[in-house]
Amino acid sequence: MDANVWLPVLVLGLPFASFVLLAVVAPLRRAGGAAGAVSIAAIAPAFLVAVLVWGEGLGSEATWSWIPADEGPTATVGLLVDPLSNAMLVLVTLVSLLVQIYSLAYLHDERPASLGRYYTFQSLFAFSMLGLVLSPSFIQMFVFWELVGLCSYLLIGYWYTRPTAARAAVKAFWITKLGDLGFVIGIVMLWSATGTFEFRALFAKAQEHALAIEGLGTIMFLVYLGAVGKSAQFPLHVWLPDAMEGPTPVSALIHAATMVTAGVFMVTRAQPLFVLVPAVLALIGWVGAFTALLAATMACVESDIKRVLAYSTVSQLGYMMAAAGAGAPYASFLHLLTHGLFKALLFLAAGAVIHAVGTNDIFRMGGLFRAMPQTGVVFIVGTLALAGLPPLAGFFSKEAILAGVWEADMTGPFLMLALTALLTAFYMFRVVFVAFFGRAPAAGHPHEPSWTMRGPLWVLAALTVLVGIRLAIGSVGEHHGPGWLPPLSVAAALGGIVLAWAAYQRGALDPGRLAATFPFSVVDVLARRRYGLDALYAGLYRSFILGFSRLIGWIDRYLVDGLLNFLSAWTLRGGDLLRRIQSGHAQDYVYGVAFGVLLLLIWSQWWPR
Amino acid sequence: MPGPDAVRAFILEIGLGALLLLVFVATLGIRGAERRVIGWIATWGVLVLAFTSFLVRPAPPALGGMFVQDGLAIFAKRLFLAATFIGLLASLGNAQPAFVRRAGEYHLLILSSLLGMFVLASARDLILLFVAFELMSIPLYVLSGFLKRQEEAVEAALKFFLVGSVSSAVLVYGLSFVYGAARSTDLATVARVSPATEPLLALGLLAAFAGFGFKIAAFPFHMWVPDTYEAASTPFVAWLSVAPKAAGFVALFRVYLEGVGDRAAAWIPLAAGLATLTIVAGNLMALPQQNTKRLLAYSGIAHIGYMLVGFAAASASGVAMVLFYLVTYVFGNMGAFLVVEAVARSEGSEATTAFRGLAQRSPLLALAMLIFLLSLGGIPFVAGFWAKLYVFWAAASVGLYWLVLVGAVLTVVALFYYLVVAKRMYIEAPERPGRVHLSATLALAVLICVGGVVVLCHQDGGEREQRQSRAVDARGDSRSGEPSDPRPRLQPHVARRRAPRERRRQGQLLLPLQEQGRARLRDPRSDHRVLPR
Repeated sequence: MDANVWLPVLVLGLPFASFVLLAVVAPLRRAGGAAGAVSIAAIAPAFLVAVLVWGEGLGSEATWSWIPADEGPTATVGLLVDPLSNAMLVLVTLVSLLVQIYSLAYLHDERPASLGRYYTFQSLFAFSMLGLVLSPSFIQMFVFWELVGLCSYLLIGYWYTRPTAARAAVKAFWITKLGDLGFVIGIVMLWSATGTFEFRALFAKAQEHALAIEGLGTIMFLVYLGAVGKSAQFPLHVWLPDAMEGPTPVSALIHAATMVTAGVFMVTRAQPLFVLVPAVLALIGWVGAFTALLAATMACVESDIKRVLAYSTVSQLGYMMAAAGAGAPYASFLHLLTHGLFKALLFLAAGAVIHAVGTNDIFRMGGLFRAMPQTGVVFIVGTLALAGLPPLAGFFSKEAILAGVWEADMTGPFLMLALTALLTAFYMFRVVFVAFFGRAPAAGHPHEPSWTMRGPLWVLAALTVLVGIRLAIGSVGEHHGPGWLPPLSVAAALGGIVLAWAAYQRGALDPGRLAATFPFSVVDVLARRRYGLDALYAGLYRSFILGFSRLIGWIDRYLVDGLLNFLSAWTLRGGDLLRRIQSGHAQDYVYGVAFGVLLLLIWSQWWPR
Repeated sequence: MPGPDAVRAFILEIGLGALLLLVFVATLGIRGAERRVIGWIATWGVLVLAFTSFLVRPAPPALGGMFVQDGLAIFAKRLFLAATFIGLLASLGNAQPAFVRRAGEYHLLILSSLLGMFVLASARDLILLFVAFELMSIPLYVLSGFLKRQEEAVEAALKFFLVGSVSSAVLVYGLSFVYGAARSTDLATVARVSPATEPLLALGLLAAFAGFGFKIAAFPFHMWVPDTYEAASTPFVAWLSVAPKAAGFVALFRVYLEGVGDRAAAWIPLAAGLATLTIVAGNLMALPQQNTKRLLAYSGIAHIGYMLVGFAAASASGVAMVLFYLVTYVFGNMGAFLVVEAVARSEGSEATTAFRGLAQRSPLLALAMLIFLLSLGGIPFVAGFWAKLYVFWAAASVGLYWLVLVGAVLTVVALFYYLVVAKRMYIEAPERPGRVHLSATLALAVLICVGGVVVLCHQDGGEREQRQSRAVDARGDSRSGEPSDPRPRLQPHVARRRAPRERRRQGQLLLPLQEQGRARLRDPRSDHRVLPR
């Protein structure tokens, strides 16, 4: 095997080895810190190899047969190494590494056994996510897609003794499962129409215009449903804010930087197929933009710092999807990468704050900048990047998205995204002003976190700046949008910042009164109620699913069990009755022989042939 | 005068006769407690014969075609020898003075019965068949009542004898009709009987079928089984439950598949009906049993039903499957009886409650019993599972799907009573502490049975099945050795079915079934009626 293959296999294999080791060797897992060391010792070299793979620009496709059949294998497993997966490899291993280091300090109060479990799942997640990005076929992608979903479930429910965490884990699992159902049906339909799961074969057919399948629109819509669930698009976005019940490092890794972007990644990967169905593409764009706006409004009224970041993630995923829908997968993917960096940074910084003050409520923080200047600085760096100010990384990717959407002549989504840009700056600086510069006394005893937590923060902050500068000076960040676009987006971001400053720092605007005036009052009321979607799902869940399961339970208990009990009771009774022919009298036994002869005689005459 | 060919054909019978003579002389010469040696002589002798049997090759028919040493006969004789060896080994540890004093009697009877089985397996003549049958049966009646001071044993032996006599009468009555129709006792002549006398022949074969039904203990003829098994000494019952049954099946194959030539298909409905009755009755009647030996007796009847399923297939593959079933049944059933012997000897009770907490007291013995029970119950990947699977497969390949369904459903019932014993061993608490003591020879016998079951689990199914069928098809070899022999055999019937079988690769279970089914449909004689309305 050449390096094109075995290096990516190494990246994939290291976390898997760590997972197997921790899963099998129970004493090691229960040791806690040692388990963390094993997991980090596996992901660190994986990161270095991933950087090597990316730097060398390796590319290969290797497949091995998986489900054998007479006419060649039905399904294959393998690796698809190309620029897209290389960049994802670096992002996933980098954020995994930083998060795992950060978790050592963040979770140091946990029981060793729990910590060991945490790192076992972390290793499994790293393996699954890497497997997902390296998948050369839909079917393998689906397997890893489900595995990352499982890891997400396990890690959201890490504190499973908390009812809210357990419920959030279940909610995340079954809402994403709704989308996955569409995904798998779509995959299988695509397979039955084309006979292959493999991307390369499918793309080749798409290129030759040989993919004029009836119902391709439906198929691609079903495939897109998977992305709707995984990447928290409207209307299946409700699980992501609840997923914040998991530990903050988990939120940073899974629910901001990597897993939730799997949907975007999939749409990007399958772009040659999606472009064949413009209607689905337009739908993706509109839903993405709408999700971005909707989530931004909800972020404006949220007071839980992690939930603000969660809604912001939903909103940014909407951005990416909008770009993908507008036929600008490059912009979408660039934003995926930059967002992965600065959103992980924001989450980890928020984690440091929560760790210090012991609450998630931004109104119970205040003046934290004085107590935690380093955390404050990196948080502001992340915020500026998210708001989209040059020369930070977020500016360029957001710019590319807006340009892409504008050039696709999608005016509606463009306007929604522009408004979202303003709101993004507003809600993020609302957090900055209230939590870091607010006058209210902070809860707890705020202090700078230890180096194991600060290190990852600084690395991510530095990368956010450096990637921005690299994009600024290089041709890669060059956008082809109209000339008025950069000033407009900078103006939107600045407008949001000024608005937040006026409302929460200067006191020139009373946010309460502003929210009470029309039309903000309507949005405020609706956003605070999360547009009724959570309640709707809860109602549906309670009435339909629980009702249905009660019905099934009744059938099982009374009809199925009843039938079986009836059968078994009569079998036993039959045995008891039949036993009586065994009288113990020798003459009866001889009658038995005579009876048998008679029976054979009768049968031989009357048996139907 | 018998030439060297005849000696070749009789080599095992001659060896067994010599052993009988040796045991007889030893009985005369040895007195008192020293008679334990007789058991050792018999056991070693059977072991030597068992090894010798692997050197025996099929020989041309002797005695003018009455006696045939073909693949089936040799296979059956090996099976009898293995079962007899295990049975004798298990009774070696019996140090009761009454038993030791009469050891000569005991072993002579067992060896004579074994000689009867040997001849039966090779007999291709109605007279020889019947004589061999009686030679096999009469020592069994005596052995059932061997514990003559016990009333139950004597009663059971009497019942066994009475039912056996009636059955023999029915058998010989039936065979007389067959003779009347064919004007010959030679099975080959019977097979070529003219259609004009067919009703008479059919009646005769029908009555004979009832006689064989007694010997294999199929349903309405089974009544002697539970009483006899319960009362007789357990190592003997272990042997009685397998060896004569195997002999009965071999005789069935001889008469109803070989002897009736191309009309074998006519016996499908009768065998299928009898199989259904036997499976249902055996399993249901085993359910309420509290005595382990009675339980195993009824479960043994059910197993006979499963073997009849394979017989009902009336094909070469069906015969092969039944032979394989017999092999797994020999080890599983004998093993189970021997564990019962060990526990009963230690606890003084044959009830299933005597097994309480056996897993804590003697974990290895309990594990052995569990393996036997799982094999008898047909739990997947234990030997008995493959046996059932292949028998069902053979039946399905001739379209007897309803029979397979009945058998499969009743397997669930069987699991219930087997697992009751397993529950007593593994879940319930022991009534008293301490290991169950068993003699070294009994332990060795149990170990051999475990070994047999385990080895049969681990063989590759397809390969094993092919080897079994080769043992059956080996009869073709003997014919090629003597081209002038005009006897019709199972062969024309087999040849059509064997072609697709040889093309079978591992893992392709279903394909050949369909092919066999089609072959049967194409067979114009498959709807040939033997019995007139």
